[in-house]
This record gives sequence, structure tokens and C-alpha cells, in this order.
Amino acid sequence: MLAVQVKAEAEILPLISSKRLFIFECLGCRDVHYPVEKAAEFMDSLKEEIVGKATLDYLCHREFVHEYVKAYAGEIERAQVILVFSCGVGAQVVSSLLEDRIVYTCCDTLYLNGFQGLTAKEFNCDQCGECYLNYTGGLCPVALCSKNLLNGPCGGSQAGKCEVDPDMPCVWQQIFDRLAKLGQLHTLERLGTPKNWNVSPASSAPEKRLP
Amino acid sequence: MQMRLMDYTKFRPKPAEEISEVFQRVNRIFILSCGKCFKKFEEEDEGQYAQLLETLGADRTKVVGHTQVDFLCNEFLSGKRISDLDLSRCDSIGVTSCGLGVQFVARLLERTPVYALADSVPHSPNYPAEVGYHGISLEEEKCAACGQCYLNLTGGICPITNCAKGLLNGPCGGATDGKCEVNSSVDCAWVRIHERLKKRGEQSASEYVQPRDYSRPSWKVTNGLSLQNQALRGGGFYGGFHPLENKEATADKRVERFPEPQVAVIFLSQHAGRRAKPVVEPGDKVKVGQKVGEADGFVSSSIHSSISGNVISVEERAYPAAQREELAVVIENDGKNELHPSIQPRDDFEALPKEALLDIIKESGIVGLGGAMFPTHVKFSPPRPVDTLLVNGCECEPYLNTDNRLMIEHPEEILAGISIVQKILGVDKVFVGVEENKPEAIAALSRFSDKYPSVELVSLKTKYPQGAERSLIKRILDRDVPPPPKGLPFDVGVMVSNVGTLFAIYQAVAKGIPLFQRVITVSGEGLTRPGNYLVKIGTPIKDIIQYCFDENVDGLLEKYDVKMGGAIMGIPQASLESSVIKGTTGLTVLKKHPVMASEERDCIKCGRCVEVCPMQLYPLFYGFYGKKGDLAKAVEHKVEECVECGCCEYMCASKIALLSFIRQEKAYARSASKG
Repeated sequence: MLAVQVKAEAEILPLISSKRLFIFECLGCRDVHYPVEKAAEFMDSLKEEIVGKATLDYLCHREFVHEYVKAYAGEIERAQVILVFSCGVGAQVVSSLLEDRIVYTCCDTLYLNGFQGLTAKEFNCDQCGECYLNYTGGLCPVALCSKNLLNGPCGGSQAGKCEVDPDMPCVWQQIFDRLAKLGQLHTLERLGTPKNWNVSPASSAPEKRLP
Repeated sequence: MQMRLMDYTKFRPKPAEEISEVFQRVNRIFILSCGKCFKKFEEEDEGQYAQLLETLGADRTKVVGHTQVDFLCNEFLSGKRISDLDLSRCDSIGVTSCGLGVQFVARLLERTPVYALADSVPHSPNYPAEVGYHGISLEEEKCAACGQCYLNLTGGICPITNCAKGLLNGPCGGATDGKCEVNSSVDCAWVRIHERLKKRGEQSASEYVQPRDYSRPSWKVTNGLSLQNQALRGGGFYGGFHPLENKEATADKRVERFPEPQVAVIFLSQHAGRRAKPVVEPGDKVKVGQKVGEADGFVSSSIHSSISGNVISVEERAYPAAQREELAVVIENDGKNELHPSIQPRDDFEALPKEALLDIIKESGIVGLGGAMFPTHVKFSPPRPVDTLLVNGCECEPYLNTDNRLMIEHPEEILAGISIVQKILGVDKVFVGVEENKPEAIAALSRFSDKYPSVELVSLKTKYPQGAERSLIKRILDRDVPPPPKGLPFDVGVMVSNVGTLFAIYQAVAKGIPLFQRVITVSGEGLTRPGNYLVKIGTPIKDIIQYCFDENVDGLLEKYDVKMGGAIMGIPQASLESSVIKGTTGLTVLKKHPVMASEERDCIKCGRCVEVCPMQLYPLFYGFYGKKGDLAKAVEHKVEECVECGCCEYMCASKIALLSFIRQEKAYARSASKG
């Protein structure tokens, strides 16, 4: 699930000035975050140049985009630039299906806690590949400590708030409180080994781990 | 098009030595495993637990229980499932899921140690610089959600998720034969970018990119977005979503009387229950409001003529609410519009006793006009007393303004209808639920609030399917109706009635007008005259569509879908040969899309259907077992509790025809329970 915002017009307009446009708009993640009105306003300002528009859910699905590209072949052919309103995945899928066409995206994709799951959350997982939660009372210092510290707090927090971002709770304070509640403060005595930032992703080379 | 579906499962088991370390710290552990996410749905049980037991060896004796919770990061449903578990025998919980699931369980069970038995998996060749997100699909393309999209400069190939070094101003120079020097099994992103730009006829690397802003987005912003999103999705009741409303085209259009039909086709089954018995024969002359069908039994309803003229035939005709033919009385209009003498206003209706009112409702053929068409006199004779009447003015279906216009134009009649029903049911408390996107309707009704002090107007945040009675009861009264097929609103002391029905009740009781006409919205795409029309029951759908279109509508269904009802729950019409029935809330005309829901596609376990199901079901199983033909398994997953609101199919990221599977499975369940 991805959240997007519309780019500044100043960034887009020089790329497309007086060119014929075809627009792909994705509404699949509208309930997550998609500025429908802002996008419509921007498209409306371009309406003189627009030769066609396809609105669909889930522009990230190659099969769906493929069908729309076929159905709108004439309009796409007449356009000089294909404009995409979607997250970065949708924009890349459209680009890869229209390899020899100029495809521009009008959106920036935003970071939202809980991305890899189903809904937005107040906590997060950075998919680091080496889960620390067993030593931290189920609160993640990789995702939630501004300094990614793994062996305890930096000492800079004040009244339980992070010194980097005073809106943000200090996760190490929360970890301490949780472990105290569980009677497991002794787990903090364990000195962690340096984190292996080289853990390889699932989709490429063989797995590397600490010995 | 042959698809290569990636496996984006977000976790893998921890190495055996780490798991054994955890087991040294515990004595009695309960295992929760997440039904994996974002992978082609092939097995309901992916064998994670069996694999874990194998890894455990002798430690397995410490395991006191196990449950697979599908989509563990769905906090609402998983929270319910976990709180139903008996965890008294264990001293700790082991979780096989990504970090989100573990953190969620740890927050939920604050006083129990929770251990991760799996590591999450970064899905980016460029970890740790970036985590790659894949959207709601299993394609290879990923997005780092960096907030400063570079794709316009790089031919639509992202250098952040594809270049091992995340370089933004060109290749590092280390690539050999187009392969990355960090990982020789991966193509160099910058070679691909160069090739792509050449194909597009664009100048490669035409400008320098400013240094990237690597700062983390502020916690306030990201957390604020998350909370905003949670509030939006969680508002009022679990599930549902916010479709594009598309109501503007007809929201301000006054209800117009639709021209009289030349021929009216009046079905004898326009209600739930037994078909009415015809009481006219070909050759008979009938007048407006004359009874042409007599209710056959208790759960049935009478049918009245909507025009004056001659009965031509009583024969089977294409029925709009299902793909079948139904018996109908076909009447040719004589153009005189003569009223039947039985139509007489009742000045004394306020003095009538409850039984007389119910009898008028029965004789006038009133049924639920929200679409369900359940006979109203039956509904208003509940086996248990009710304490609250909920009036449904939500109209959450896109395009429709039927109820909206009635509330704006006839607020007093609706309120008088409410008083009649209050008397019948003996209830003091009445809530009228109207979605906040209908400010005019709310204003119109509130003008009479002094006169009707027991009626409370509730403005509701818009969300589909708020108009489904269970959602509405949850939203306004916070009461949970037991699941279908058995549970009904009166089980929690509530009666729900649609504003259209209440208006019809007022018309019948006070004016003596039986139900032979109704307001419908005709809207959608390509129409030149969308609007709200008062139509006679039995008016051919083709006449109405033709009236609203400039061009000839003979070949219309090749390019458009016509639905009876709204865009989501509306019933698709196989032809335009049918006619308006009492349950026709509107006609919605929609352009055919290049991609339509299909029974063939594969589920990718994105979990969106689970997120939107207001009945808190797991609709993905209905598609999965439906495709396999294993209908009994779907029944195990409680398909009978489905209310067919269509949220799952609408949201399905793979466009699977879930409703069609669900209807087959429910039919199977009904026949199985009959024995």
C-alpha cells in the first residue's frame, strides 16, 4: 500500500509544455492516500493538451495496464507524452510497457508506517532481515529509534521524547518500560553483536548472515 | 498475457540456533503464525508450523498450542481472534510473521513476553540504503517511497531501488557486460536507464541531479498520515471504503414525472416471498391503482396497476433483479390515466389503530424500497418487540440520489411516515441516519425537528456500505446484529427502514395511494439527460435509458453496462427488455472497462478484501475455494454470513469475480442445509 502526493507544477510543466498528453490515473490506493482533488485540478489545467485518459485501479498490475494500453492504443499513439498519476511502482510498470514512449510521473511517493503490511500503523518494520524484537520487548529500535541504536538509548532523550524529533517518543524509554513490566530487564544486559547491514534481500544473491 | 508473480512474503524463519536460544528462555509457549502475505495463493496452510516443529526437535514439548492467524497485521480482526484464544497455559507467545505482526502482538499482550521466530525480509536489491515497496501487486518493480521521484529523469527505471549503490547521476563505472559489480546476477540499473532513454529518443543524463535529501521524514508527518488513514478507514464500523460518489450530476435535479409508458410490464413478483396471484385476465380494463395481483400467503405482497388501459397478456418476461423470466401483467395504456375509485385520502389516518395501519400497508403492496423488497407488513410484525427505529437515509451507493431528493423535497411526508411506523411498532426512539454529503437533505429534515421531538437526526461520515443495516446499527447504536443467515436487526431490538419506504407508507396511509410508482435516479457515463424521475412501476427500462440518451440505444450494451441500482451493488442487465420494479432504486450506466472481474485470475493474498469486509470475513477463501470447486470449504469459512455488499470484489487487487463465487457458494450452503 502506497501513499502519494502530486508533484509541484513547476517540476512537471517544463517537461510537457504544449505537448499532447495521455493520462494514466491509478485509484487503487485512494483509501490509503491519494489527493483526488489536487490531481483533478492539475489535470483540468492541462485539459487543452489531453488527448485521452485511462482511470483504473492498481496500475501496479502489468496485466491490467497491458489491457488498457491495448484499449487506448489510438489515443496513446497520438499523445507525445504519457503522464502517470500513481505511486512509483505504477509509473515504472507503465514505462516498461511503453518502452519507446516518453512516460512522466506527476507524483512523489510518500513514506507511511506499516507499508509492507495491510494498513497504516503507529509502529513500523524496516524489513531489516535480522529481527531484534526478542531483546527489546517487542518494540523495534531499528524502525523507531532516530539513531537506529541497538544497544540502548543515546542518553539525549528528555521526558521520554527523542532529541532528534521531540514529537517522537524515545523507543528505548518505551523498551525499558515494557521490559520492566514484563520483569525482563535482564535481557538488556545482553550486548548485541554489530548489526549486519549486509543481509541480502530475498530476491537476489544467496543469504548472508552473521556466523 | 503470461505473468511472472514474485513472492513477496515478508518473513522467513529465524535460523535454528536463534530459535533454540528463544526456547531456552521459555517453558510453555503458544505459537501464532501469520498466514503469509503477498504471494500467489496456493495453499491455505503453507506448512510454516510443521517446519517450525521440525526445527525445534526436543524443544517441541514446550509448545502448548498453535493458531494460524491470516493477515496478522490486520489489528482489528487478529486482535479479536487472539483475545478468543485460551492463553492461560502459556508463559510466552512465539510469533512467526514480519516485524509488524510481532510488534502488534507484543502491544496487544502487554503482560506476556512475545518472541519473534522469524526475520522480516528486505525486498530491495539495494538494502540497506532503501527498502523497496511493491504496491499491491507481485510485479518486479519496486518503489522506495523516497518522496522525491526521479523517474522523470531516468526513463521510468528507479535508480534508488535498482542500483546497488543508489547512484543518481549515472553509473559507477564498475559494471561488466551490463551486470552490477556488487551482484553479478543483477543488471546494472544505469545501463538499463541508458538503453531505455535511447529507445524513448531522450538525451541520456541531460542534467545533474541535486544531492538527495536523505533525512527521514518527520515522525509527526508519517505518524500523522498513519493516524489519519486509520481514522478514515475505521470510522463508525469495521470495513468498507470510500468510493468516488459521482452524485453531482443529479444531486440538484428536482424529481420530474417521467412520461407515461405506452405499455407497462408489471411483474407479479416484486418482493421477497411468494409470487402474487394474478387477479386480472387478458382483455380486462384496469385503472391506475387497481389491484392486478393478490398477495399469496403471509410473506407476499399485492401488486397494483400503474396505468389505466387494457390487459394484453399475463406472461413471462425478462426480470431485472435476476437472470430469469418472471410472470408479469402486460397492460396497454389508454392514455386516460383514470384513477381507481379505491384511491381515497384518509383525513383521519392519525386516529387509526395499529392493526388498521398494518392492513393498509399490506393492501397497498408496500415493500422495502432500498432494494431488498421485503414485504413491509411482515417486517413490521417482528416476533420480538423492538425499542428503536432507524431510518436509513444514507444512500451510500455512488450515483444515486433517490433518497436524497425525497428527503429534500418531501421531508414532512417522510416524518409523518415515521410517526405512522412509530405507532405500529410502539417505539419512542427514532434515529434518522443521513450521510454528511447530503447537507440539503439534513437541512430539510431539521426544519421540522420541533414538530417531531422523538426523531433524532444523525449526520454520518460518508463510507460505503453505511446503508447496509448492520453497518448502520453498529454506527449509530453500537449494537452488533448476530451474523446472517439467522441474525436480524430485531434480535438487538432495532427496526431499520429506508426513507423511500416511509414516504410510500405515508402516501398509502394518508393519501390512499398504493405503491405503483417510485422515484429513481438515472445517472452514469455518457448520458445526456441524467436525472431523478418519478416513474410508473412497469415502465420499460429501454424507454428510460432512451429518454436520457441522445443516440439510439439499440447497441448500447456493447459499449456500456447498465445496472439496476448503483454502481457497486446494482444488478447488471443482460438486455434492456426488462422494466422497473418496486426495488429499482435507479439505473446506472457505466462504460465497459478493458479489465472486468473474472473467475480466472489468481489471488495474491494482498488482504484488501479482508480489510474492507464489513462482516469481518475473509473473502479471499471464497474465490480460492470457488475456483477449486471445493464449496464445502467456503462454507467452513462462513460464506453464509456474507451480505453481498460487493466491497471485496470492488477492492480486489486481482479483479477476481468474488461475488459470483460467493453466490454459488451460498446457494450450495442453502441446499446443503436443506439436506
